[in-house]
Amino acid sequence: MKKIILVLLGLVAYSFASVIGLDALGEEQTAGGMASTAGRGYAGGAKTGDAEGLSVLNPARNAFDTKVVFNVNFLMDMVVLEKKSDNFVVNNISMPSFNLSFPMGGFGAFGLALWQSYSSNLNEEVSEGKNSVETTIEYQSSVYEIVPNYTFRLPIIRNFSVGASAHVVMGNSTRKISMGPDMEDVASSDTWAVSRTELADYVDGTWEIKNHPAYYTAAIQYRGHQSSFYFSYTTPHTLLNKLDYNFRMSELDTLAPTKRSREVEVPAMLATGMNFRFMKRNNVMFDLAARGWDKDIENIGGSFNMEPVTETQKDMLVALGFQRDGSPMFYDPYLDRVTYRLGGWYKTWYVKDVYELGGSLGAGFPLGRKGTTLDLSFQGGKRFADSGRAWEELFFGVRIGLMGVGSWGQTR
Amino acid sequence: MKKFFVVFLTLFALALTACIFDSEESVMADWLSAQGIPSGYQVQTLSVNELTPLSSEVFLDSAPKLANDRVVLGKTANISHDLVFDAAFYDSVFFADLKKTDSVEMFLALHVLKPFYLAKQFPADSLPLKENVTLTISWKLEKGSSKSFVDSVWDIESETWLSDLKKWKPDSSADTTVSVVISSKDTILKVGLPAGLVSAMKDFSKACRLQLRVSAPEASRTYRFYGVETAKYPQIWASFPKDKSFIEFNPFRTAHIVSSKETCSDCAVLHGGVYDSLVVEYESAPIMKALSDFYGDEFPYTGEAGDDVRQTVVLAQMTFARDDSQGTSELGLPIQVVVGSYTDSSGKSIRKMEAYKLNKSLIVSKGHPNMVFYEGDSLTLQVTYGLRDFINRARDGRTFKMMMRLGYPVLQDKDSTYADRKVDGDTSYVFFSHFDHARYDFSSSMKQPSTLKLWLANKRGDK
Repeated sequence: MKKIILVLLGLVAYSFASVIGLDALGEEQTAGGMASTAGRGYAGGAKTGDAEGLSVLNPARNAFDTKVVFNVNFLMDMVVLEKKSDNFVVNNISMPSFNLSFPMGGFGAFGLALWQSYSSNLNEEVSEGKNSVETTIEYQSSVYEIVPNYTFRLPIIRNFSVGASAHVVMGNSTRKISMGPDMEDVASSDTWAVSRTELADYVDGTWEIKNHPAYYTAAIQYRGHQSSFYFSYTTPHTLLNKLDYNFRMSELDTLAPTKRSREVEVPAMLATGMNFRFMKRNNVMFDLAARGWDKDIENIGGSFNMEPVTETQKDMLVALGFQRDGSPMFYDPYLDRVTYRLGGWYKTWYVKDVYELGGSLGAGFPLGRKGTTLDLSFQGGKRFADSGRAWEELFFGVRIGLMGVGSWGQTR
Repeated sequence: MKKFFVVFLTLFALALTACIFDSEESVMADWLSAQGIPSGYQVQTLSVNELTPLSSEVFLDSAPKLANDRVVLGKTANISHDLVFDAAFYDSVFFADLKKTDSVEMFLALHVLKPFYLAKQFPADSLPLKENVTLTISWKLEKGSSKSFVDSVWDIESETWLSDLKKWKPDSSADTTVSVVISSKDTILKVGLPAGLVSAMKDFSKACRLQLRVSAPEASRTYRFYGVETAKYPQIWASFPKDKSFIEFNPFRTAHIVSSKETCSDCAVLHGGVYDSLVVEYESAPIMKALSDFYGDEFPYTGEAGDDVRQTVVLAQMTFARDDSQGTSELGLPIQVVVGSYTDSSGKSIRKMEAYKLNKSLIVSKGHPNMVFYEGDSLTLQVTYGLRDFINRARDGRTFKMMMRLGYPVLQDKDSTYADRKVDGDTSYVFFSHFDHARYDFSSSMKQPSTLKLWLANKRGDK
């Protein structure tokens, strides 16, 4: 295990992220970006069990949990941007989510998640330009959600549960493009005044929900002996991004900013999924989530020839996965205690004409006998884009999740 | 199985590395271009001609200033320079001796500031300088009875003392004529203190504070001396001819008080070596109109909440017509004009001194453009910070205000470093380290149109 972790740490140095929709919302962390879910192609929202943790799409799932679960996820992803035969690589490291769930027996279960739902990340330097000043471009935008979650099993029909969660949105966004002068329009006798002067187009702001403290998800879950399913509905909401635009010489030499607020109307989302268990520990699962964007998204834009809006389309996730649960018996052979996962997904992005096809391979390695698991998933695929601004992307990601399952408050 | 994972992941890492090294920066530049991001911000120049000031006003700071290093006495360029010395001493033997004798003499000794007079820039034919000058000496005495009295005087904050000097009410005063001699030798100006002062001190027995003001209202020039914080500090002596003894007690601080003798209140006259400034104000409309014509946008900016960040000023310079004939200077050297402008700081208008970016090829061929008493007929001053702030916030209807004053005389008018530096082990000075008590009349410059030149960085996209 140590060796695997070492190799993964090596990979961190070469990890990367999507640049599609940078000026709109950025990349969505599907299904909370959990390593275990990602390993089976983002399917398995309906799968119950203590080793599953909290689901941001299905707040009714953890009603069936009996133990406290802590789960933290890391993502290292690499994207190769392609246009014809040209390509370049950009990178990202992030912590898309961590979550906690507390089962309370007859009182239901309470959960809390921190989820980076959308993020824009880019930090690149380009020395090819019309002057000796390097162009640098930095995007750092994260829409974070704190998601408290409550769920309980229904009386009488105990294999049904209902749950709801509130998504409290926060976050910040920064865009900095610094560059040197283009002096094409300046007489040679006047170039002395601006040569080697670096200026930065600087935008920074915050994320919140407009006119409301949060948006909400409600779900119903059925857990059968072999099959389980869920259905969830997430309310539409308007994200508010308050921005200050500047054009600055340095951090200490700035202009008084222009302020602007952009509103992103996020439509309602419907999600459903089913899980079928066979031969004791084998599962196949299928999930579907859809959100009908009907308005364009205002971009941060505001400078040079940057596009003012990002056109949208219906975004949809179709996911199919398989999971072989590891044996819970600590005396079984180690390989039998490992959970194996496999999956694939098709996703249409909220950005018009962008489609993603991906596959994943994952495993959950039990660490010791105390219920701690290290989830690993490798995912790869391609984002197809059909516009001059968005380039196609080949992506490869490594997700690491650490899950702790414990029995707090119980005596043995 | 574990080994398989390790090998598999290592191969993946290598494959990724290969991908990364394959990427090219030119591709990144293409991608930036596809996003509408240029490789450099567009710079354009814009000249706004025929600008005439809304107002131009001079401000002379005549508040007393502490001058403990170098002191100036006299009158030149319609500015008079007075000195006030503050001394306190405890010496009961001296006061006893003073009472016993009628023949005591007291005098103030000032050491001439030789580095100024012997500098090669000082007109060589001026030395030796011999003149009779009438001085007005006024004084205030305070009686004390112990050593702690002296300490209490020393404890008076200089700011408090300077503030009190604004309401100078002497006990008495007297005129005296002295012969000022300045030559290449070490020279001391000996100013005999009035008999009235000496007899007033006879009433004292232990301790005394003496504030002594020396003026030369009729002088035809200024005289420069060492201050109290130098080795050649001013001294006050009492001489007892009977037993040929001297007692020395010295001032511990000096104040420099200037007053204007200008008769033209509307004239835009600046003086060197004093806190004197000319504030020039321009209305917004002509500058906004020029920007509007240039960009085809509305100026001032009236868009969404906030100020104008569509462009920024990378450099701005204002060029005035210049006529040196109305000015006078002591040394005949070009004098740098120091410039500042009024910018916003958290809602308050503050004066910010401007930076000076060097146009090296122009400086080498024609000298610095920001000097008076120099060849040419124009004065060009950089006002980048001011214009940057003004255009950014012009929506509130503000005017553009700049400030200028006379700086140091310039020794190397075509030196493009604009900084003192070591050359072959010696320091090569760009500026003369003493102010020239010059007088420069900008009145005609203010009446003629000036030109503003802007270098603007633009964030607008293609239209």
